[in-house]
Amino acid sequence: MADLAQEERTFGEKLQSLPRQVLYLILIVVISASVIASKFAGPALVLPNKPGNNAIEFYATVMNVPEGSTVAIQSDWTNSTRGESAGQLESLLRILMRRNVKFMVYSLADPQAPQVARDTIARITLERKLKGEREYKRWDDWISLGFFPNGEGTAKSIQSDIRKAFKGKRDVSPEGPRDVYQSPVLKNIQTLDDLGLYINITASKTIDVLIERLKFKPARFGDFEVKNKLGSMCTGVMGPETVNYYSAGLLFGLVVGLNGVVEMETLMENGVNWPEGKKTVEYAKDKQLVVPGWTGKQNYARGTSYYFALHTGMALLILAVLAGNIGMWLARSGKGKNA
Amino acid sequence: MNFLIAQAPATPPLNFWNGDNATAGLWIKIIIGLVLGFALMIGLLFAPTRMRRPIVVTFTFLAGLFWMVQWLWPRAGEGVTEPTNATEGVALWLKDALPVVTDFANILTAFLLGLGIYSLVSIHGKRLIKKQTDWVFSGILLLSIVIMMIFGYADWLTRLGEGAAKVELVPGFWNRGRDLLFDGMLQQMDAAMFSLIAFFILSAAYRAFRIRSIESTILLSTALIVMISIMGAIVFMLDSAAAPVSNNLKLSEIAGWITGSLQTPAIRAINFGVGVGALAMGIRLWLSLDRGGVSG
Repeated sequence: MADLAQEERTFGEKLQSLPRQVLYLILIVVISASVIASKFAGPALVLPNKPGNNAIEFYATVMNVPEGSTVAIQSDWTNSTRGESAGQLESLLRILMRRNVKFMVYSLADPQAPQVARDTIARITLERKLKGEREYKRWDDWISLGFFPNGEGTAKSIQSDIRKAFKGKRDVSPEGPRDVYQSPVLKNIQTLDDLGLYINITASKTIDVLIERLKFKPARFGDFEVKNKLGSMCTGVMGPETVNYYSAGLLFGLVVGLNGVVEMETLMENGVNWPEGKKTVEYAKDKQLVVPGWTGKQNYARGTSYYFALHTGMALLILAVLAGNIGMWLARSGKGKNA
Repeated sequence: MNFLIAQAPATPPLNFWNGDNATAGLWIKIIIGLVLGFALMIGLLFAPTRMRRPIVVTFTFLAGLFWMVQWLWPRAGEGVTEPTNATEGVALWLKDALPVVTDFANILTAFLLGLGIYSLVSIHGKRLIKKQTDWVFSGILLLSIVIMMIFGYADWLTRLGEGAAKVELVPGFWNRGRDLLFDGMLQQMDAAMFSLIAFFILSAAYRAFRIRSIESTILLSTALIVMISIMGAIVFMLDSAAAPVSNNLKLSEIAGWITGSLQTPAIRAINFGVGVGALAMGIRLWLSLDRGGVSG
């Protein structure tokens, strides 16, 4: 009976009721093949990308932070979102390390997050070391402050008095663990506004906590004006909500999801309105703004290697939706019978 | 200015709430704190049932009151360290108390993690000892916790000595072990679990995203435009094709309009609603108007 019912199904009915196992198999094959193809093709498979204003402003601001200043990185992600967040942190670290900007890293969201961030820093440090570039040293160039379970209170404390917010915290120095305020990274930080920038890399809503509690004064890095020192790198899922804060001028820039990572990598390769870049990335809001890049260096990395898979994945999703709808239309109109 | 910075203490000055590391004074404070804490807990356990609600209500109100006052009270001027009037005095006291209260809040929140671990060990320990259904999985869980703790702690210890801040090209046994367990296993499983969502999204989109009405047609068309706008290569091609005709026909412009003019205001409206709801809920919790959590 079951076989008979199966035989009587029209093409339209079949098309709109594909077994989920088939869909899963197609997804596995398509994504795996795309990632493997990207891996082997290397630079030959760098797909074009047009960075948006939010990413350009983020990049331009990070590129203008004075050398030697300290950037706070609140890293609130773990490997569940590494496809997006790892690439975001890696691109940020490459820029900060190339520009000799110090940074401190901590988390207000997840106990695993500080270790994940430290592993990412170690990976980029090793990458630099193997290329003969200066080793970015813990304690002198960056410090880890760990995990703060009560994000709301900690953010308020940072706003109130950053010298007291991390009191009692110690980090690894060449001589063993020492008070973090003795580190060159925090030594000169007296108030929140002494920070170069404050960047939140998140897979959740932790940017809300910061928006509600941190208030930065407008600053100038040479000729470059910064209205707010808070920036965000968030996952694609959190993008639509975070765009609110960017469009309201509460963030100096915003990098969203895997697309954002590719935007950052494109900007690192080509700069903004930079004549020496391989291709011109225009910033329509300010055509006078010129931000250099690092053409030829390790810019295209994790984001670019996943970008082809993002395309094929999205294409598959669109095709699946179209197939379902075409199947429904065929079944309703009685077409495709005995196909 | 640099001279002042050089003279600034590495940590804030000592007060009633802190002490020098590894000194007898700090240990005494820790022990007194522990004794008082245990005494308070025992006192609460033996408190008459009818007193539980007033105690919880009082603590909840006082805890909330600090944050409310801290938010509403006028701030002292920038750089003011000595109060010139009562308002400034309270403002400076609140400022000094903030890190202490935050520390309390951090410790209390950290206790929740400890409570979670205790609960896990308790449930799975009983299951293992009594050899209940799936006791093998409980055993693996407990073994994983212990092994991770050993390797995590040993790895941490190796990073305390001289030169530990350097990135070593050849890590030691404990570092490799921690690396294998944390990065090689836990984090990979974490990523694998999250990636399962992709399968459900594909299956759900295929089955549920059907054009059955005008509303669903609008929703689907909008979603398609936004989805295609994430594919940089397609955007690049379509934008290049549309550029000679009109900038408004560029896919990036259309997607930008959808995001900026439709999506963002809608989310902002939702967030306003959520904010007002959170405020109302916060006031109810603060004033213990919700009886469920604090009933004796």
